[in-house]
Amino acid sequence: MDTDLVTRAQRGDEEAFASLAVATGDRLHAVAHRILRDLDLAEDATQQALLAIWRDLPQLRDPARFDAWSYRLLVRACYAEGRKERRWSPPLRLLPSDEATQADGASMVIDRDQLERGFRRLSIDHRAVVVLHHYLDWPLERVAETLGIPAGTARSRLHHAMRGLRAALDADARPPAREVAQ
Amino acid sequence: MSSDPETTSIVRSWLDEGVTQLPDRVLDAVLDQVPATRQRRVTWWPARRNEPMNTMLKLGLAAVVVTVAALIGVNSLGSSNVGGPGSDDSAPTPEPTATPELTPEPTPEGNLTVGETYSISLPEYPIAISVTIPAAGWWGEPGGGVLLINDADPPAGAGIITFVDDGYHVYGDPCQWSTTRPDTPATTVDELVAALSAQASRDALAPVDITLDGYAGMSITLHVPDDADFAECDEDRFASWGVPGEDPARYHQGPGQIDKLWILDVDGHLVVIDTAYYEGTPQSVVDQLEAIVDSISFD
Repeated sequence: MDTDLVTRAQRGDEEAFASLAVATGDRLHAVAHRILRDLDLAEDATQQALLAIWRDLPQLRDPARFDAWSYRLLVRACYAEGRKERRWSPPLRLLPSDEATQADGASMVIDRDQLERGFRRLSIDHRAVVVLHHYLDWPLERVAETLGIPAGTARSRLHHAMRGLRAALDADARPPAREVAQ
Repeated sequence: MSSDPETTSIVRSWLDEGVTQLPDRVLDAVLDQVPATRQRRVTWWPARRNEPMNTMLKLGLAAVVVTVAALIGVNSLGSSNVGGPGSDDSAPTPEPTATPELTPEPTPEGNLTVGETYSISLPEYPIAISVTIPAAGWWGEPGGGVLLINDADPPAGAGIITFVDDGYHVYGDPCQWSTTRPDTPATTVDELVAALSAQASRDALAPVDITLDGYAGMSITLHVPDDADFAECDEDRFASWGVPGEDPARYHQGPGQIDKLWILDVDGHLVVIDTAYYEGTPQSVVDQLEAIVDSISFD
């Protein structure tokens, strides 16, 4: 990120912030969507995160750390939106994929649905670690620093989350109970 | 059973699906709100960089090129907040930058000259507040609204921050501040003192009448509980009050922080002078806080 742009926005330059928002909006939204698994919630979270970035920019000590800092505000916004989801929405609402599914057969579709269900059972804390590590491809140390948690906690959350997702996939691989009975 | 590498591969592939673009309407909505969204004051780390207010400072620090701007503004002790960020995640690490216009890390000498008078008002304040530095070690950005010493953090730090606002929304619970913000702000000295006295968990001492630079008001001392867990609080912040367009405006730097507030009506403007320190702050520094407050003049 252009630190000069960040510094100008810190000083209240709205045009500089607009440039920052354009430059960062897509990636923040992509992460929010993957954490929340809901387009509306992700849009709300991204909007709240961008406004929080503007509001709190003067408090960012080191402009070079803008990227990590912005993700931290985004994850915080995801927590807030996640709470709304728990309050107002059915817990296991499945959403269609936003992109065309690869034509690789029914198993992939089942995997996706099972993953969706398994992922939604995770807390936002666990989802955030999975997304930052496996989607952004960040090392766990960076994930931990961004989330403000110890590296061991990040590792534990990732382990717990992946175990849950693997269980979700394995559940799909087992034959339905009815078939077993037969 | 899926192996871990298989699971990882499937999860990564699955995560690659999904939106990658923020709709323009969302971006537009954000940018539409920016002009009406006030940026938060810096806590103790200088963000506002105004020109120094006094000639001596210019002369004395010319070589250092410290853009003395406004200690007070940044924010005060806390994000208003003088004593340091505490759990403020917006300030990841205090890494100094080489940019010459940024205020450097605090040094034992500080960057403010003993005996000099500095403005500790934010540019937008309707009145000017000036103080005189009583001892070595004080630093900050005069004009930013915050003065600090001993790096501001626990266990020995201290700081002073000023607020000049027409109304203060004193949270019912500083930890659950986002849901206990009163709709109606305190707009008088009595209302503000009453609200602070009633604030949960602050162990407020009885307010006392005071006079500062000829203006009457009240002083009250509040405490952040020693066992306060900021991580359990809204946005990880333990906060006392918000002002229009800025919530929270004053949040604290750590458990055990002590705030002695001077609350005054200065020509119709509700002024709060917030001095913050800790149990471990040397008495000499606490005395210096008092001396700084005693030196205040309003213009």
